[in-house]
Amino acid sequence: MSFTQFFAAYWWLMFPVFGMFMALISMFQSERRTAKTMDLIKSYVDQGKEPPPELLKLAARQSDDWDMDMNMSGVGSNSRSGRAWSFVVFLALAAGFGAGYYFVREQDWSFAFVIVAVTMGVMALGSLLLLIFGRKS
Amino acid sequence: MVEDVFRDFWWLIFPLFGMVMAVLGMVQENRRIDAIHARARRDLGGR
Repeated sequence: MSFTQFFAAYWWLMFPVFGMFMALISMFQSERRTAKTMDLIKSYVDQGKEPPPELLKLAARQSDDWDMDMNMSGVGSNSRSGRAWSFVVFLALAAGFGAGYYFVREQDWSFAFVIVAVTMGVMALGSLLLLIFGRKS
Repeated sequence: MVEDVFRDFWWLIFPLFGMVMAVLGMVQENRRIDAIHARARRDLGGR
């Protein structure tokens, strides 16, 4: 099997592999950062000082991360505008991959576009539900 | 051969660009948080 054949057969694998890689990296970094932030806050409290607001904000956001909230783009992503942005991004991706499927629907591998479009559509729906029924902060 | 691969998979440029942007976003976010931690540590007296 040549590289071209291999790539043609398995190109779609780069997306789930990238997703898994990012999820793993985020998980480890989030754990390390949370420990560091809490340690710093504890040190402030021990010295009788008020922790800086940005540090408290960071701790609050990290605890939201552990609540499995949507956190796609970092700063302010748990706010209503962050959720609205997640909805727009997922909707755009669903529409893009849906359109991609339409153009290549004759091909054998067009199912990959449907899978991604449906996944993004479900994510968009989840973002919309969080936007409507989620915490108003 | 390279031309054939490019003709078939040119559209992969867009998701690959998205991946690169995601990685860059993660790196920038990490730098921002590290800066907050460093500032807080400095305020504490160089712990």
